[in-house]
Amino acid sequence: MAYDNTPVIDVHRLAKRYGGVQALADLTLRVQRGEVFGFLGPNGAGKTTSVKLLVGLVHASAGSGSVLGYRLGDRRARKRLGYLPELFRYPDWLSAREVLHFHARVCGHPVTVRAVEDALLLVGLAARAGDRVATFSKGMQQRLGLAVALLGEPDLVVLDEPTSALDPSGRLEVREILHRLRASGTTVFLNSHLLTEVEQVCDRIAIVTKGRVVAQGTIAQILGARNAVRVRARANGAALEAVLERFGNVMHEDGALVVQGVENGRVPSMVNALVAANAEVFAVEPLSATLEERFLELTSERGR
Amino acid sequence: MIDIVFLTFKELMRRRFFAGAAIATALLVGITGWGFVYLNGIHTAHGAPVTHLEVLTMTAVLLILIAYLFSFLLAMAAVFIAAPSLANDIESGVLLPVLTRPMSRTEILAGKAVALAIVVAAYAFVTGAGEFVVVRAATGYLPPHPAEMLAFLALSGIVMIALALLLSTRMPALAASIVAIVLFIIARLGGIAQSIGTYYDNETVRHAGTITQLLLPSDAMWQAALYRMEPASMIASFSAAHVWPGPFFVTAPPPGAMLAWTIAWIGAMGLLAARSFELRDV
Repeated sequence: MAYDNTPVIDVHRLAKRYGGVQALADLTLRVQRGEVFGFLGPNGAGKTTSVKLLVGLVHASAGSGSVLGYRLGDRRARKRLGYLPELFRYPDWLSAREVLHFHARVCGHPVTVRAVEDALLLVGLAARAGDRVATFSKGMQQRLGLAVALLGEPDLVVLDEPTSALDPSGRLEVREILHRLRASGTTVFLNSHLLTEVEQVCDRIAIVTKGRVVAQGTIAQILGARNAVRVRARANGAALEAVLERFGNVMHEDGALVVQGVENGRVPSMVNALVAANAEVFAVEPLSATLEERFLELTSERGR
Repeated sequence: MIDIVFLTFKELMRRRFFAGAAIATALLVGITGWGFVYLNGIHTAHGAPVTHLEVLTMTAVLLILIAYLFSFLLAMAAVFIAAPSLANDIESGVLLPVLTRPMSRTEILAGKAVALAIVVAAYAFVTGAGEFVVVRAATGYLPPHPAEMLAFLALSGIVMIALALLLSTRMPALAASIVAIVLFIIARLGGIAQSIGTYYDNETVRHAGTITQLLLPSDAMWQAALYRMEPASMIASFSAAHVWPGPFFVTAPPPGAMLAWTIAWIGAMGLLAARSFELRDV
């Protein structure tokens, strides 16, 4: 296939402007085959615009890119693409099964009746498959949307806030589905602002704010960038802080001192300096931020 | 494309358009049919029964008036099913997952256009044929060219579908519908202006009417349909009397090239709509 040796998503400096509003300023990212890629950002950051650019619903104002090896918007890529929109609506005058059969006919490759029933079963709609969509709750419609996106085993599944209407058990089911997709080698592009969801399922993430990617990498890479150390030590108070300030900004936190901006390689030097200052050192622990802290840090930095 | 055609049929059926249209047709044909039966038995003020010739003349005139009103109804039906068909699907988000399938937007638009054109043409033919059958049974009168008349009437409905679909690629359904109906009325007024300009030999008014008809040929198709409803004796008497025939009669059909222009116009609107839809951000 055309995309075997190329990234599934590879976009460079994509921008989108709606009239006078810059919805997306500079999106550069690369998603490799088989990855579950999380796309995070605050409201209005340009996430949904980015997703719509990737699936060909909107046209880029600038930049270039490819999806599944084909230029953005190329219809050939859509044969192997599944998409759950943020605004998920399906014809309310059709039954769930009819919606899936319609998509099975137009998805560009053969999908068996059995595959339709399997998709309904997977998202927990088998018992309501014959009912009109008009009778479905929002959560059920989102499940239907997920079934539509997964129909025909696409190589790339783009999910825009896939659990926004689901209850906790529904969210758990979606996480299990995402784990299964990863196990089967399907690439997943997950747009979400549910950080725990992203933390639990994604191999790599990108954080976008004000239309620009501000961090991209594995979760460990993004969290590890905090460079903070918590120190529990006893000495003449002023002397202790004076020593630590040589290594970074010192803050008080829960009866300990947190030194921010300390690279891991300098931690032994910091301990030596404390000992040289006659401090009693009880604990020195490198801190890793939670994804939430890191997210807020990165997105508020951009807001300044 | 064929999947979209069938999906559109199914939507119209499930949304009870066909049931509604069938009831409306039955009411129209039933009530007017009763009127024509009644017409047969009426008497003059002096108590004498009307002659068969008078019944035929009245029937021909009344049938034209009914067709005139039906042409409005058909235009509105065409607009009000075509505009939401695309615009509502875009606005509600129903179209989003469909647009990410390997179909072009042109195919989706063409599928909807074909289905809607078939439905509107069928509506025109079924209602029109039903009316003609009932009138024939009640009075013995049949317009001179009923099939051609209905074909032109259907074409005027298809013109409105093309316009409404084009507008709905960029406008919400309600706005597209209102604009299309207003343009339809302007085109009809343009037709009347053309007839006045022709009668008074005023080139400015006549050209204004002609330009309006070229820009939106729905009225030209109505005039073509109208001409095929008028008995030769009626045309001859209007021509001989040298009076302005009014908005309900024509003494000559639109030129033959108008049919070709209308078909080309529908095609051009289709291409414009496809281009507009392809370029639109959804």
